[in-house]
Amino acid sequence: MALTLTTVGAYPKPPPEGGEFRLRKTLQALDRGEATAEDVAAAEDELTREILAEQAAAGVDLATDGQVRWDDPLTRFASGLEGFSLSGLIRYFDNNTYFRRPVVKGPVRRAEPIVLDEFRFAAENSPVPVKAVLCGPLTLASLSEDEHYGDVAALAKDLAAALNQEATDLAAAGATVIQFDEPSLAAVPGQPPGDLGILEAVAQGLVDGVDATTILATYFGDVAAHGPRLFELPFGGFGLDFVAGPANFDAVANVPAGRIVQAGIADARNTKIDTVEQLRGTIERLNRHVDPDHLWIAPSCGLEFLPREAARMKLERLAEVKEIVR
Amino acid sequence: MTEGLLTTSVGSLPKPPHIVAARSEFARRNIDRAELKRLEREATAEWVRFQDEIGIDVIVDGEQYRGDMVAFFAEELPGFTRGGLVRSYGNRYYRKPVATGQIVRDHPITLEWWEFAQSLTDKPVKGMLTGPYTICDWSFNEAYDTREDLVLALAEVIHQEALDLAAAGAKYIQIDEPAVSTRMDELDLAIKALGVVTEGLDGVHTITHICYGDFHNAYPKMLELPVDQIDLEMANSNYDLLDAFRDSPFTKFIGLGVADSHSHRIESVDEIEAGIRRALELIPAERMFVDPDCGLKTRTVDEAKEKLRAIVEAAGKVRASL
Repeated sequence: MALTLTTVGAYPKPPPEGGEFRLRKTLQALDRGEATAEDVAAAEDELTREILAEQAAAGVDLATDGQVRWDDPLTRFASGLEGFSLSGLIRYFDNNTYFRRPVVKGPVRRAEPIVLDEFRFAAENSPVPVKAVLCGPLTLASLSEDEHYGDVAALAKDLAAALNQEATDLAAAGATVIQFDEPSLAAVPGQPPGDLGILEAVAQGLVDGVDATTILATYFGDVAAHGPRLFELPFGGFGLDFVAGPANFDAVANVPAGRIVQAGIADARNTKIDTVEQLRGTIERLNRHVDPDHLWIAPSCGLEFLPREAARMKLERLAEVKEIVR
Repeated sequence: MTEGLLTTSVGSLPKPPHIVAARSEFARRNIDRAELKRLEREATAEWVRFQDEIGIDVIVDGEQYRGDMVAFFAEELPGFTRGGLVRSYGNRYYRKPVATGQIVRDHPITLEWWEFAQSLTDKPVKGMLTGPYTICDWSFNEAYDTREDLVLALAEVIHQEALDLAAAGAKYIQIDEPAVSTRMDELDLAIKALGVVTEGLDGVHTITHICYGDFHNAYPKMLELPVDQIDLEMANSNYDLLDAFRDSPFTKFIGLGVADSHSHRIESVDEIEAGIRRALELIPAERMFVDPDCGLKTRTVDEAKEKLRAIVEAAGKVRASL
């Protein structure tokens, strides 16, 4: 059988213990006026290459660029679109990390490509294929403070149109897989699952004309509350977190044949390395509903909540299990 | 004049630039631990003197010797291993502790600092602890089967620390649980754990500080937290938490946060006074303490001093009028 091992998004930026943390130092130097934006870009390029090589060496089949140029998915896209400004720090779901809350001040519009150049750079510098990752319209709309539209559905519609332009450009630049992140859909501790209806209304506009395999990625919780309707959305596959959302083991039965299941099976938020037996058991459980050609295995979410060594070990363990299952 | 409306701080106070520099010199091994400690004691004495002089009623030591509120305890507890760097936001990183073995306490952690601060003033100095739920939530867990197991093990060691503070004479002990309001599904666990910590603390006024989070879902259930007082941020949400108290009366002592800890702006005495008066419509002065929203460590020394002065003046004006 041919499982695919993929990563979900962000990768830890710090070096392994004892290494030089060039990006952090360069950003600090920028704050003091002792480095330029070009210096920062060079440090980001270097780290991106390193992370792409690290994923490939660990056995990842489909990598991400590690999002080293981003603070977080929300502000990366909010600051790349017209109509947004950024306000104070708020907690990112149930994690002990924070992001600057985007504020919608006017009509949302994409004036120019946002992550196209960084995708091109990653694709050119990666030993393995690279997946493009975009923040989804529901999550961006839900976590922003809207001072303009007065209607989250209207905001989501404009966001979907802007993100569709970005995805179209990415596909034209060679992205064969494009992932839209919608953690807001999941039942995360402390918040109810997001409004599926809002995404349903804009999903077609989001993927229209995008010549690539599209993945709708959820994490931090389960999507059981949405029932089968979620999997009727026009995406080529669905990302589910089986670590934070055990109820996804039931939900996955609703995924229609022929769609990809990107299964987050290794805990990307704890340093404890999942055992071969645990991971193997999870894959066997998933095989009851998903044929191996459509099953992708992955960490439960982006790996940036972990120190660098733990992230690499998580991937190596997944690769090990992939070989054993094969 | 009336009883109540005592002023205090939530815990941390800013480190003056020379302490920040000394900590990084210590990390680079350019100065030794004894020298760092000498400077930290000096800075602690400064903050105790300042609070005393401006008329704060319940003093804190200002935590000049602490970095991260969780890592500070984890570093002193066998069972925890120092973790790798993890990003908090932007270009900010911290070392997230890892529970790798059974968590035990083999020596007091905060006692010496509390005794030092208390020796400098006749006013009560508050014992400052980080709660078991928060230590668990902000650490990696490789040692315990469940989060509950880790939280309850931590509750036992923090309980031992609290008993030592009480035996040394601490009349106020605060157990901070900022993580509590972020995961409502585990509020029962946090309540149970805090019960372990506060058990047998007779004659001690116990407090917990929790941050805004999912307050409207956490209230009134949070009143089950087994402490005498809950300390809440009010100023940064324009006191809208008070609305919840109209439906379900706030039955404990309250620590009323009247100055935003994350804003450079110094609140005016008038606006703080107005905030206190709004709260007095719902909670009697006898059950109210007044303080900043949260620890002030992210402010400059001057900003923190100005905020504290404004709080003392406003509380004094209200007290005099009652």
